[in-house]
Amino acid sequence: NADPQKTAFLLRKAWTLYSVTPLYRFHRARLRDYARLLSAFIAAEKQKGLAVEVGVELDIKVAVSSLADLRGSEQDQAAVLVQLSLRSQASSRNSEDKLVWLGWFCSVYGDDLSENVPEDFTCLPLFLTHGAESYTSMVGSWFQKTFDCCFRRLAISPLNLSWMVAMWAGCKLDRAASAVELVFSVPHLSQPLDISYAIHPEDAKALWDTVQKTPGEITQEEVDVFMDCLYSHFHRHFKIHLSAAKLVKVSTAVASAHCDGIVKILHSQYLPGVLMLLTELAISQIQ
Amino acid sequence: MDETVAEYIRRTVLKIPRDEIKTMLQKWGFLSEEQLQTLNFHQIKDNISQEVVQLCEENSADIKQAAVLDIIYNHIYQNKRMWSVYQMKKSGEEWDYFDITDFKKKFKARLRSALKNVTITFKEYEDNAIWIRVAWGTPYKKPNQYKPSYVVYHSQTPYVFISASVLKSNLPLLCQALIVASNYHEIREMELRSHSLDSLKDIVFKRYSQNFQTYSPKPLPGGNVEPEIADIRIVQENRSEKERIHRLNWEVFGSGPQPKLEFAQYKLETMFKSDPKMGVLDKKEPFRCLIKFSSPHLLESLKSLAPAGMADAPLSPLLTCIPHKARNYFKIREKKGLFPESFVSP
Repeated sequence: NADPQKTAFLLRKAWTLYSVTPLYRFHRARLRDYARLLSAFIAAEKQKGLAVEVGVELDIKVAVSSLADLRGSEQDQAAVLVQLSLRSQASSRNSEDKLVWLGWFCSVYGDDLSENVPEDFTCLPLFLTHGAESYTSMVGSWFQKTFDCCFRRLAISPLNLSWMVAMWAGCKLDRAASAVELVFSVPHLSQPLDISYAIHPEDAKALWDTVQKTPGEITQEEVDVFMDCLYSHFHRHFKIHLSAAKLVKVSTAVASAHCDGIVKILHSQYLPGVLMLLTELAISQIQ
Repeated sequence: MDETVAEYIRRTVLKIPRDEIKTMLQKWGFLSEEQLQTLNFHQIKDNISQEVVQLCEENSADIKQAAVLDIIYNHIYQNKRMWSVYQMKKSGEEWDYFDITDFKKKFKARLRSALKNVTITFKEYEDNAIWIRVAWGTPYKKPNQYKPSYVVYHSQTPYVFISASVLKSNLPLLCQALIVASNYHEIREMELRSHSLDSLKDIVFKRYSQNFQTYSPKPLPGGNVEPEIADIRIVQENRSEKERIHRLNWEVFGSGPQPKLEFAQYKLETMFKSDPKMGVLDKKEPFRCLIKFSSPHLLESLKSLAPAGMADAPLSPLLTCIPHKARNYFKIREKKGLFPESFVSP
């Protein structure tokens, strides 16, 4: 399993999620070449004036590497990491380049997809980015052109968010945990209304533990019961039907997720589990 | 002119939107009309503020005048700050005649006796509001002009509105000075906070339209729920339900505009109850949660929940009591005894 030190950079960052269709003729031996080609592509985009923005610099260094440990099963492809750094202005060899953008492709138990795909294709259905949108767009364009793949923002439905909050609320944590928070939005009123429902993590876990019948297994029914409990407790006090509002964000000590496809993973122990769930979402968006 | 004063004036002017600078300087009245004429308001703000500082230099501005400009800015842009409400109490029934000079003297004396390094500035407005600006220092440091506290006091009322600076340790001293100066006995913070100072005043001064629970045989103000539809083949389903909701909403909220609050927060420590058939949590301890409602105009959005089908009518008293209980922070515990369904809010 992944060395926590190597994957520490993944934690506590807000990642924007995309689904990616399989890459055609992607060769792991050529990562260095890809880095050079992508770097040239970005420089050309600059010259064309296409990405003229404050903060988007000219001298970008690109690194593409493999993260061997970041995968689920042996069938999964190892993750691919792309890093964009600003070449340091000072000429001294000691000054470090400043990292401006990170993106990585991965597949954690993505067998559903990789099983059904011809040999020339590499399956890495989940793409996560951190950094300016303009860089994401350039990197995405280059990958699309080079490997004939397609990127799409991964939206997370209220249904999937409720799965996440139920699962993560039930996780056992050794340290003091932060609250389990659900954020709802009611947009179509005369004035928009946001409702934040934050539950003490011990009480949320206690509730989930009585709902979940088989450890290690979660059913849709159990998630529904959990959510109904929260809705009815709320209704008892406020007479508001929270189930009619839109669940837009969930937040726990394990991870947080926003319906626009933004995720933050806070706990290394649950990293594989979260990535597995997100891989599944990416695959269902592709298929 | 002191360099720190010059810099403070420069930064204050920079905050002002370019179109407003002239008006605000006129309100300030420190620079003469002739001096204001020499200013070029069509250049970038950086240059405008430099020119203003130069004029202030000519007039030898000190921190006192600069502080007045700051009050004027904050009075106009009061909604940028978060205001808390405090209520003062008198021990007896005596209503002393309010003497503003006496108030100012006592206030300054009380603060200065505890803390030598303070800048205290007053400005009175037409609506009987006294604005007080206090910049806090320490025994060894001059006052930090960039983190002052603002107090708004309507002398005919026991209410004080405070926008504290980040330095909360000065709050007790500020409160003490207020009660000493205004001849009150004690002061307590209410559970009411908002950016909209006017709305806070509306709530505590009861200036919003309230509806009292009297039966009104008159026709409902505002007319019908739905506009008249010419085609008689179109029938409104649930018409009576819609009218019932409309009537209940009107009874609770009244027909006038609601005070503008941005949020309400409820700390719930009530028991979790569920259908025994579900076989879920049945602890003897409370289900602890913190619920926060936010909206650009909270009361209006709550008012529209039932008509939108998102809530039952009548809406829960926990929500509808906000204006007349003058609070938007609540702690709800289970009420023990005969009626387990009702809640107690301390």
